[in-house]
Amino acid sequence: MNEAETPIVQLRNVSKKIGSKTIISQLSFDVPRGEVFGFLGPNGAGKTTTIRMMVGLMSITEGEIHIEGASVSRDFEKAIEHVGAIVENPEMYKFLTGYQNLMHYARMRNGIAKERIDEVVALVGLSNRIHEKVKTYSLGMRQRLGVAQALLHRPSLLILDEPTNGLDPAGIRELRDYLRKLSREENIAVVVSSHLLSEMELMCDKVAIIQNGKLIDVRAVKGDQLEGSAGIVQLEADPIEQALEIAKAFDDSIDAAIQDGKLRVTLNREDIPKLNAQLVEAGIKVYSIQTTTKSLEDTFLEMTGGDQIA
Amino acid sequence: MLNLIRNENMKLYRRPRTWIMFGIVLGLYAFVMLMMHFFTNETMTDNWRDRYEQDRQHLSETLNANGASPGNEQLTQELMKIEYALEHDIPPVHATMWSGVMDSTGFIILVTIMTVVVAGDIVASEFTWGTIKMLLIRPASRAKILLSKYLASFLFALLLLLALLSFSIVLNGILTGFSGFGQPMLTVNDAGDKVEEVSLLGNVLKAYALSTVELIMFVTMSFMISSVFRSSALAIALSIVALLLGYLVTLNLAMYFDWAKYLLFANTDLTQHLEGRPLIEGMTMTFSIAMLAIYFAAFNFFSWLFFTKRDVAS
Ligand SMILES: Nc1ncnc2c1ncn2[C@@H]1O[C@H](COP(=O)(O)OP(=O)(O)O)[C@@H](O)[C@H]1O
Ligand SMILES: [Mg+2]
Repeated sequence: MNEAETPIVQLRNVSKKIGSKTIISQLSFDVPRGEVFGFLGPNGAGKTTTIRMMVGLMSITEGEIHIEGASVSRDFEKAIEHVGAIVENPEMYKFLTGYQNLMHYARMRNGIAKERIDEVVALVGLSNRIHEKVKTYSLGMRQRLGVAQALLHRPSLLILDEPTNGLDPAGIRELRDYLRKLSREENIAVVVSSHLLSEMELMCDKVAIIQNGKLIDVRAVKGDQLEGSAGIVQLEADPIEQALEIAKAFDDSIDAAIQDGKLRVTLNREDIPKLNAQLVEAGIKVYSIQTTTKSLEDTFLEMTGGDQIA
Repeated sequence: MLNLIRNENMKLYRRPRTWIMFGIVLGLYAFVMLMMHFFTNETMTDNWRDRYEQDRQHLSETLNANGASPGNEQLTQELMKIEYALEHDIPPVHATMWSGVMDSTGFIILVTIMTVVVAGDIVASEFTWGTIKMLLIRPASRAKILLSKYLASFLFALLLLLALLSFSIVLNGILTGFSGFGQPMLTVNDAGDKVEEVSLLGNVLKAYALSTVELIMFVTMSFMISSVFRSSALAIALSIVALLLGYLVTLNLAMYFDWAKYLLFANTDLTQHLEGRPLIEGMTMTFSIAMLAIYFAAFNFFSWLFFTKRDVAS
């Protein structure tokens, strides 16, 4: 295997116990290079805990985490060399200027020139305010400064814990484009966590879903939707009763009903054109097809067979 | 490592609080010195010769009258110094600018308190601010980061001590017109037959050095509480209470219990051995230094253990 193909992060049977409580159990997955990798789960699922173990803030009770081949628990300094991260909020020294904050982190690594600091500042668009005290910054500016400190040393792995917290939809889209660009152009792997499926589908190439500290699934994202996951499809069709019959016949397990004069079916994305073809074939007029992404809760219910959500 | 210390210094001296501490220590000292200068009338500067002539006469008479008595040795030495001073025209220390400089050693406890505050805050504040999560995810080991904070605390103490010393020399120099600036202090040699001149500044430095024993111990203690409990309030409060009351409590315990000699506070004052009056019978310089070393090692061990091994979970 050449270097470009080995996963940048490998988790193997990682568990975390605090006291007698098991917070993370037997987590195993790989993060590939050059992709935006999502870490999805409801609040309290253990996303932050896993990230803390990846960056060495928390010890690993069982199992191993390797970053660029170096073990986080046994060879921390080597493993963390390649990592830039923001864990939860981007906390900064408020009594220092943005620039002094970056200076501070630059001094903790070898070979970060002044030019690199200026470059990163320009990259996150803070050039005009960088010599002001962080005290005066808005949340958005602090987040930019947080990203700047994470990128200073040209990491090959960028970890952002719930980066969309406090961002508006435009901000999320901007972040998405930016992360995609980073991952494609610089071959950086980006790990982002979120509790919102819709955000993950927008941002990520692949998503690991965890619940109650356990890995439920790792899925690729295709066309802004989790592959293989069912969405809710609303069809405006005439005659509608006949459409319902065809939809029910399409798949035994299908969940179909008429709601507000429209046909509402739960359907995998790849099945939508097939159903549409059958409807058209039967001479039914299809005026519109509308898909709504299911909420994370629905997806969880589906994947976990109705288990209680943490 | 040097870069880590530079970081700690930047975080320390970019905060106004640090400079307020300098202001408090130097301001209080200046206040007391000015009060003493302007409101005490007893100035010996001019008539010290008359005073010494009287003392010489008085001492000679006492010595003659006593015959051979146990206090004689000290009186003889006193007399030797007075005669030497009159002969070589050396005024007594309290008639020179060095009197006030000597008084500055009484303010070292303020330096200790300020450094206790700095050391008690330097680890815990990173947890309070949440910046610890940014600090520990770099390729610098936790042990090195901890050490850099410990060293930065002592650099602060050193800076404040130097500021106090130089400020006291300049202030007293100005107040007294630098009287007796280059003069020596007189002591009698061990054999007891000759008066020797020793450097006054050296003597002041010795007093400073001895007080740093207490400073180092209490600052290390505050630093430990800060790293173990991650609370600056607890670290500062406990250490200052210990600093102010520890010796008093130990003094009372020492009257009834022999084991009081194992307490930290019984050993921080090393002058008890230099002056031959240990707090508890049987304590020696070696004993005290050994006890201090044990406490010092234990404090640092716990700081290191908790800072490097515990999860950062908040
Ligand atoms: N220090 C701790 N002690 C005990 N339990 C904890 C601690 N930190 C987190 N937890 C628990 O671990 C679980 C996972 O938390 P976390 O990783 O923060 O979840 P997420 O980031 O996915 O919202 C939660 O149930 C939380 O209560
Ligand atoms: Mg979280």
